[in-house]
Amino acid sequence: MKIHPTKLIWPIVLLAVLSLPTGILAADNGDCLGCHADVETVGNQFRINPVTFDTTAHAEIGCQECHASVTANHPDDGKAPSKAGCQECHEAVSAEYANSNHHGSAACNDCHNPHVARGATAVSGVDMNRQCEGCHGSLETVLKHAEWLPQADLHIAMLPCISCHTASQDNVITMYIIKRPASVLSGDSQLATYAELKQQAGGKSIESLIDRNEDNYISLAELRLFNLDSENKTLRLQGMITPEKVTHDFKILDNRWDCTFCHASGPDARQTSFVSLAQEDGSFRRIAAEKGAVLDALYGTPDFYMVGATRSKILDYIGLVIIAGGMVMPVGHGTLRFLTRKNRQNKEEE
Amino acid sequence: METTHKVYLQPTPVRIWHWLNAFGIITLIATGAQIRFPEYVSLFASYKSAILLHNTAGLMVAVSFSLWFFYYGVVARNLGKIYVPTKDDLQVGLLRQAKFYLLTYFLGWPNPHHATPQDKFNPMQKSAYMAIMFVLMPLVALTGILLTNVSPLREMVILLGGLKLLMSVHFLLACSLCAFLFTHVYLATLGKTPMAYIKPMWTGWEEEEPAGKHSHHTV
Repeated sequence: MKIHPTKLIWPIVLLAVLSLPTGILAADNGDCLGCHADVETVGNQFRINPVTFDTTAHAEIGCQECHASVTANHPDDGKAPSKAGCQECHEAVSAEYANSNHHGSAACNDCHNPHVARGATAVSGVDMNRQCEGCHGSLETVLKHAEWLPQADLHIAMLPCISCHTASQDNVITMYIIKRPASVLSGDSQLATYAELKQQAGGKSIESLIDRNEDNYISLAELRLFNLDSENKTLRLQGMITPEKVTHDFKILDNRWDCTFCHASGPDARQTSFVSLAQEDGSFRRIAAEKGAVLDALYGTPDFYMVGATRSKILDYIGLVIIAGGMVMPVGHGTLRFLTRKNRQNKEEE
Repeated sequence: METTHKVYLQPTPVRIWHWLNAFGIITLIATGAQIRFPEYVSLFASYKSAILLHNTAGLMVAVSFSLWFFYYGVVARNLGKIYVPTKDDLQVGLLRQAKFYLLTYFLGWPNPHHATPQDKFNPMQKSAYMAIMFVLMPLVALTGILLTNVSPLREMVILLGGLKLLMSVHFLLACSLCAFLFTHVYLATLGKTPMAYIKPMWTGWEEEEPAGKHSHHTV
């Protein structure tokens, strides 16, 4: 009897499946996190925050994708589970990073904990810089930049390091809600946490604090209401310039020494802006803001200004009128003076 | 023949102060224009050099302003007398001086104000200088100091209405001072000869016009 080859496939697949360690098939993220979410069971080193992990792209592919050698007897088998190399999936990023100045100084997971890593737009600019601060201490970095950069402390606070130190592209203005310190002299403003925003929102969603009609879009009117609302007086919007497209080619880019790289874009640039809010899981969610959220003289956010880049056209015209007013005397009076010069000559001769 | 009589109108410290201010303010206007309009103005080699020069000139003018205030307010104690218009100035003098500039000057009449070391400024000058030195200059300097120290003074910036408001105030005040500068320089040429009022600010000595033809001084 001749057996058709296709009929053999299923028994082979079944055999192959049965020959695999049964634990792998049965385990999903939940099984792993059953232990690894509990600090008392696995200790700090192996503890994974399930809420945070669940929002990462790595959670979608599952624990076994990177830890393939885990058996059903883990951890009793005494074997350390295998760890996939980042380059196995992130080949292009690895190649780009390998050519950067940073390569050799830090491995991928020195900056990116794979159980926490999120996309560039799902983290705050402050979080981005926190990775850098691990090695590049804040004060030391400020002092080094202050050797050539005016207001170095301001630049370092308001820019993700990668905006200048990688060729990351498509910079937009992302505004974060910050909580002001209790008094003028006590400490810096901090990004408002989810809990603080939740408390401020009362029973409503935190988005409703600024996106009042909750249509996932912040109009200039909503922005103005947020800025003027006395109930929000402890909260302010603070803008950072964040890249949309992140690269890993760490180096000192020559054109970033020139301030006009950012500061000469003129009033038509810097029109794309977002408000990004802390979420319960530790990520940030962006909501698009209407054009003018930064630039508009009356409706724009009061705490964001980039010299040479975000000036208001209306104010430019008012300034021009004032300066033209100063020309009235020289031009108007000067003309009449010229026309009546004979009167003064005659008086002198008298 | 009429003899020219010279009056020592501007003592050396005043002249040094004036020209330092003039140099500083013109630098501030030029660098400020490049800082605000970098895509149109490129008077200085780089944006950074414009900013550093602007900050330095700003500091210099702010210090010079403080010296002026300290000298007239604390040492000489005649700040009010020189710069604040009297009741008579406001009721009669302002109108008389405006009438001269806008009408009788063209008819060849003399300036109703006669500058002396004790009474240097005419009523319009007093009013203009009072606005400039007691309102515009302090405000432009204070906003400038805040804007050059945004990070350490962030909370103060917020209390005063935010960065954008301070920036707008600084810019509009600067435009007003620029407008004043045009008027100031023009009026300085209104003497018997175009240089007649400018020279004393350089040499200290003003040639007094013969009796009956009173001197005027610049606004």
